[in-house]
Amino acid sequence: MLGTNSPVADAPNVTSGSSKTTIARISARKSVRAGVGWGLVFGIYVATQALTYATSYKTAASRELLVKEFAHNAGISALVGPAIRIDTVPGFTSWKCLTVLAIMGAVWGILTSTRLTRGEEDAGRWELLLAGQVTRRSAAEQALTGMGAGALALFVTTAVVVAAVGRSSKVQIGTGSALFFSLAVASGALMFLAVGSLCAQLSTSRRQAIGLASFVLGASYAIRMVADSGSTISWLQWATPLGWIEELRPLTSPQPWALAPIAAFVLVVGVATIVLAGRRDIGAGTLPDHSTITSVRRLPSTTQGLSVYLSRGTLLAWGGSIVAYGLLLGSIAKSGGKIITASPTLRADFARLGISGAEAYLSVAYLIMALTLSFVAVGQVNAARKEESNGQLENLLVRPFTRVRWLSQRIALATLVLALGGVLAGVSTWVGAVSDHADVRLLSMFDAGLNVAVPALLIFGAGVLALGVLPRTVSTVTYGLLVWFLLVEILGSVVKANHWILDLSGYHQMAAAPAVSVNWTANALMVLIALGAAGCGLFAFNRRDLQYE
Amino acid sequence: MSTPAIATFDLGKDYGGTRALQGLDLRVEVGEVVGCLGPNGAGKTTMIRLLLGLLIPTRGRAEIFALDSRRQTVAAHRRLAYVPGEANLWPTLSGAETLRLLGRVHGTFETNYQSELIERFDFDPTKKVRSLSKGNRQKLILIAALMTRADLLILDEPTSGLDPLMEQAFRLCIHEAKDRGQSVLLSSHILSEVEALCDRIAILRTGALIEIGTMAQLRHLSALTVEATFEASVPDVVQVPGVSMVEVQGRTLRCQVRGSVEPLLGVLAHSGVLELLSREPSLEELFLSHYGAPSLESTHGAGDQ
Repeated sequence: MLGTNSPVADAPNVTSGSSKTTIARISARKSVRAGVGWGLVFGIYVATQALTYATSYKTAASRELLVKEFAHNAGISALVGPAIRIDTVPGFTSWKCLTVLAIMGAVWGILTSTRLTRGEEDAGRWELLLAGQVTRRSAAEQALTGMGAGALALFVTTAVVVAAVGRSSKVQIGTGSALFFSLAVASGALMFLAVGSLCAQLSTSRRQAIGLASFVLGASYAIRMVADSGSTISWLQWATPLGWIEELRPLTSPQPWALAPIAAFVLVVGVATIVLAGRRDIGAGTLPDHSTITSVRRLPSTTQGLSVYLSRGTLLAWGGSIVAYGLLLGSIAKSGGKIITASPTLRADFARLGISGAEAYLSVAYLIMALTLSFVAVGQVNAARKEESNGQLENLLVRPFTRVRWLSQRIALATLVLALGGVLAGVSTWVGAVSDHADVRLLSMFDAGLNVAVPALLIFGAGVLALGVLPRTVSTVTYGLLVWFLLVEILGSVVKANHWILDLSGYHQMAAAPAVSVNWTANALMVLIALGAAGCGLFAFNRRDLQYE
Repeated sequence: MSTPAIATFDLGKDYGGTRALQGLDLRVEVGEVVGCLGPNGAGKTTMIRLLLGLLIPTRGRAEIFALDSRRQTVAAHRRLAYVPGEANLWPTLSGAETLRLLGRVHGTFETNYQSELIERFDFDPTKKVRSLSKGNRQKLILIAALMTRADLLILDEPTSGLDPLMEQAFRLCIHEAKDRGQSVLLSSHILSEVEALCDRIAILRTGALIEIGTMAQLRHLSALTVEATFEASVPDVVQVPGVSMVEVQGRTLRCQVRGSVEPLLGVLAHSGVLELLSREPSLEELFLSHYGAPSLESTHGAGDQ
């Protein structure tokens, strides 16, 4: 410790005490930046939902139809929560956005907290600080404080956008209501920042921590689903963090006292995190770790097998999400089709294309599927870059194994994964739809599934090009493209955008399948561009230095 | 002359404006163990990564057994094995799985020798890489390279993190490799290791090869340390040709002599020498004189005047 008589403390230019807040500052900087970004996405999502509703369902009659279809639909209620007062813009907006955004916030919370705690520790960066004046307990406290700032940034940004759009005469959500609604949305992120931090103390690696925290989120969603599927068991709502958020009932009949369990949960989990952090060894977890493998497993004996093996967890998780989401979308497609029919403007739009019903609904809802597959593509190319930058790839390249072979294998794997993901999406949606006796054809869903894989492949191709030419920009390029595609698609439908801007979005180029038949010419062109970009990336990669972190 | 294991021709690498390696001409003959010394940032790792084709040369080229390291990478890599100073392996694989994978990628390896190495390095292959210490990870990557019995071993600080016992095991492996006719390029900061293992030693500084030769040749090029104690007063030897770094303590003289010792002996013979000691420089002294701890060079320069 630095005493006042210490020569170091007396020396000029000594920023004494700064190390005590280093982790807090780093965590705050990283999480605030992400919090603002996601806050914008959340705000824009809320704004588009509110504005679309206000413009599509202008008449009382059309809103009545919505109430009739959804207010007593147990399936929909289990999926996104009960449809209360959906004949009003605030009611509909809350119903459409609250659960979805709370879950997205929770996922962000898990990824951020595990990255800023366990991830930093895994990378060995905390060890340097912990060897100094920072205790493990203080490190955890600081990380939690920093992440709290991130959650606050998410809340403030969301609130600003929602309050701004609320002032529109079409929407009419008061500033107070906008704040409370944004607080409800952000509380999902806050609670799961805490859950992720606790799991990071329990696990021995970031991967394990993510698995554990995701399980908590999954269980929390499942309990909420059960609670929302019937009125007799609605008390179960109080047993799950996602239920508490729903009980806040922002924009319909606010219940601020439901913030109490949320605050208590964050406090208890936060304190548990700090206590556990002080008790365990650095690099170790609280739960037992299986670090010994007595028999050689069969999988990773070839480089291709290794790539599959190393990404199996992520791929299975994505595959599972795609199937689950496909089944859900399919099972509500018929009702979804009726919403479209209830809106005169939407009905007219689709009537012009000669379609109606479930397939029309799915063509709109499939944007989420396109987004999911794009995330898979981004993950694939970033994983390849990481393998290069962390030096693991070097182990292969110093052996009789060429860069071209390695990257070709990665390109082939990603193409296969994306195509398979598309097929899974289509088939699972069809299965879901058929279970609800919706009029959806297998072939058209199969096509629609492959259709959404195409823009994802485009993002992957651009990512490989970046990997070859400017490897340090892979993450920026891929995430940037994804956000660009999404923003153009969301805003392009609300604002009249220049067709050049629209044309530069992969999602805009994609035909609205299954409502209209897939434009295979456009898709073939996009696949060619994607593979051409990947080919150029491969060419450049073979002619540059390997670049380490 | 037979095909060398390694041959570089004016090999150079720039990073932006920085010249990391300049015009390197290095030959490692088949069956030879060549050590590579140099301070941090001298270009040793850059040189090795160029030999392996991981970096693209700005100038010149490198050959492994007459195979171009850029154009015939696969054929060249079939004949070599590499050990980096830091093992970045896949944390979720066990040691045995890592060896199996790397063995498969290399193509051929001797399973019997692999088991022998595992025993010799006292390595537990059932543990996941994640739970291994730095030293144990280094053992794993060493075993993976040695088990291939490749014609050429390129080792970049291979023993970092190993304990003295394992360091001994490593030296034994290199002696065996040499006996089998394998060639070795060893970059290291452990001078005793280089002195014990290498036939020739190359010294790099700021990206350039400043010296290469056997220990005897390097010593010959360097100064001899002479220490003499006199009956009475110490003679003035500052002006004697070849003499530098003169130090006088009481009746004892210490100095260094470069080239012929005859002029100095001529002076000493008439000065009543009681005791005369002379010794060759150690590798450490050679190393320091070549890399130039700057203070040492300035003393050296002062002595010359």
